[in-house]
Amino acid sequence: MADLSTKYLGLQLKNPLIVGSSGLTGSVDSIVKLAANGAGAVVLKSIFEEEIQMEFKETLKKEVGFQENNLEFFDYFDYQIKNDVLRKTAELISQVKEQTQIPVIASINCRSVGEWFAYANKLQEAGADALELNIHKLPADVNEDPEKIKTDYLRIVEKVIEHVSIPVSVKLSPYFTNLGNIAKRLEKAGAKGLVFFNRFYNPDIDIENIRVTSGSVYSNPGDYVLPLRWISLLSAELKCDLAGSTGIHSPENFIKMLLAGASGVQVVSALYKNGPGYVRDMLFGLEKWMEKKGLSTIADIRYLGKQAMPANKELFERVQFMRYFGEHKA
Amino acid sequence: MATNIEKLKQEREAAWREELRKSKKNKERTDIPRVYMPEAPALERARSYVEVNSGLAVEQAVMEASRCLDCPNPTCITGCPVEINIPKFIKNIERREFLQAAKVLKETSTLPAVCGRVCPQEKQCEANCFYQVKLQKDPVAIGYLERFAADYEQQSGQISIPELAPGNGINVAVIGSGPAGLAFAGDMAKFGYNITVFEALHEIGGVLKYGIPEFRLPNQIVDVEIDSLQKMGVQFETNFIVGKTASIDDLREEGFKGFFVSSGAGLPRFMNIPGENLVGILSSNEYLTRVNLMGAAHKSTDTPVARGKRVAVIGGGNTAMDSVRTALRLGAEKAMIIYRRSLEEMPARVEEVKHAMEEGVEFLTLCNPIEYLGDANGRVKQMRVQKMVLGEPDSSGRRSPVPLEDSEYLIDVDTVVVSVGVSPNPLIPQSLPNLKVSRWGTLEVNPDTLQTSIPDLFAGGDIVRGGATVILAMGDGRKAAASMHQYLSDHNA
Repeated sequence: MADLSTKYLGLQLKNPLIVGSSGLTGSVDSIVKLAANGAGAVVLKSIFEEEIQMEFKETLKKEVGFQENNLEFFDYFDYQIKNDVLRKTAELISQVKEQTQIPVIASINCRSVGEWFAYANKLQEAGADALELNIHKLPADVNEDPEKIKTDYLRIVEKVIEHVSIPVSVKLSPYFTNLGNIAKRLEKAGAKGLVFFNRFYNPDIDIENIRVTSGSVYSNPGDYVLPLRWISLLSAELKCDLAGSTGIHSPENFIKMLLAGASGVQVVSALYKNGPGYVRDMLFGLEKWMEKKGLSTIADIRYLGKQAMPANKELFERVQFMRYFGEHKA
Repeated sequence: MATNIEKLKQEREAAWREELRKSKKNKERTDIPRVYMPEAPALERARSYVEVNSGLAVEQAVMEASRCLDCPNPTCITGCPVEINIPKFIKNIERREFLQAAKVLKETSTLPAVCGRVCPQEKQCEANCFYQVKLQKDPVAIGYLERFAADYEQQSGQISIPELAPGNGINVAVIGSGPAGLAFAGDMAKFGYNITVFEALHEIGGVLKYGIPEFRLPNQIVDVEIDSLQKMGVQFETNFIVGKTASIDDLREEGFKGFFVSSGAGLPRFMNIPGENLVGILSSNEYLTRVNLMGAAHKSTDTPVARGKRVAVIGGGNTAMDSVRTALRLGAEKAMIIYRRSLEEMPARVEEVKHAMEEGVEFLTLCNPIEYLGDANGRVKQMRVQKMVLGEPDSSGRRSPVPLEDSEYLIDVDTVVVSVGVSPNPLIPQSLPNLKVSRWGTLEVNPDTLQTSIPDLFAGGDIVRGGATVILAMGDGRKAAASMHQYLSDHNA
């Protein structure tokens, strides 16, 4: 029987399947089910500071009394909401740890650097084994200097790492001029892992009613190629752990990520569609394939993948491109 | 509480009021400038506990009262949370019937000497004064006049003890001796109940004593009110924590038939930012209680409070102003308010901000602490603050603070007082599992009767509102007294 155990962010995982940050990882019952089905780790549902601020504004709107008589009570109420959210997260972590053996990675998304490290500090105190920084920043502002976006990412990571001792990973956006460069700089800043990629809200247009609507919230099976490309390109360049995320819906794609050099593979949409039992199916598929290939450890898979990668990756990318169109018959 | 327009009209038509109105032309009245409240000199008072506002002299009060136009539609009353008949008490001052003026105040307000000092009149009655609304002139100084009439009565030695109904032998317990509890006790005593007020601390008065410093509200003013209640037969038990010393069930067994919970909001809140546990960082509750109630300012005390030289107070409410001004009085060389919005958005009374500025408090607005740094002994030595900007107004019209990235800087501090609000006291809800509480720990009550989910338990003040003004807490006490009287009358009939 194959040994699926691996290390991710320095944590010992019984296998590389990590349930990504989502509603599935927001309650103890759901996490216990995922763990019972064999998940190697979970990334908790992200704490979004923006949500706390929205709730704060709603509270002010509804609760501030006549003549602002209770304004002093509500003036800093966002901190009360934050404390409440952190307390609940601490309870969740403690319950998950009581009821399962799997590592718990907390996830945050904040507005300002000061809050990033304040939340990080509290989540460490709450018992999280590691932190995933969900820097959910879509560069939609045409006036924003691209250099500033990079600097912001680096500042957040540096400041968080100054304030916590648990390992920190960064969930990245694919929208960088030179993704490899930012990845390298984040690693230098102290990130122990990088997650490829964050999946943004996808707007769509309803052509009948001519209005903007919400696109599908789930990833598509074909989406895995983007993280696969970047993990393939960067796994030999970086020493930190890489994790694939987005579009990993089948055991085959799971295996491809490991071959590309991923230490962990985050799965969400496939579990929403197929239920927590699908963790078992994914792992079963991996084991069967390893058996077929005569591989006994995850390290073997990564070694095999490394051998398959051409040394000149830029060439590899271009050759693939030329071959595809060269062989394609209309 | 709906203003009884007809009654107001009838009272306004009283011969003495009509005569007084005719005694001066409106133009003469509106030409009088608003009175200036005499104050102790800023630099002297900043190092002592002398009351800052000295109160109006008789002639000043009469002159200010004569500014009031005795409007046919007194909009000022609608601005008062307990709808004091403002023109009536002011006109009594104008005609020099000061005790009568105090009596009018007491028709609706149990603690006028307190409210005259701590109510945010600029947002309440004075904001709705005809001068302010229609003439764009300084409003009549209603708060100063309220204080004048109440103080006059206190100093006259002629404080009237209200008439009490014959004793009905029913025991009622009040939990907490702050403004809500005192107001409730007074009204219930008038109805003929045996009232016992249980106070957790060793002093009676709740937030009026432990929270508000003597330079703003002298204890003696509160003590006069407590003395009146004692003369009415109200019993006070200090150092008694209901929920710990004895439970509500224990008290029921001892024969108490009704309970009024007015235990306030005494649980401090913090910001949960790195370094907040360092030595030298404390809540405003702790800081003020230790100074105001435990004599921590005295060198001989067993429980001294740190006398910081560089003190930062986080927050912009009245409690923050009380804390920072207390720090000055304890010898701080630099006392700072750190507030993340601008002066305009501060919840503190305008007068408290003005007084603090005069006394030398530095206001660092649009700044927010994000971290505290300590020395080798674990004592706070610096704070990292982030500059803020004001964003767009939210739906309530208030502009929200937005962090300005890459703007952090360090400030040297040796004491930090965190004054970012308080939460309701959890002891009573913890001891009564069937008591319904909100998500934020406030007690849920029927808004018309202030009855909780436990029928013989009523509640009011900050334990219900989270945090509000003294006058609203007092209003709750009175409303709950009327409701409980009805409830107990129905159940003992």
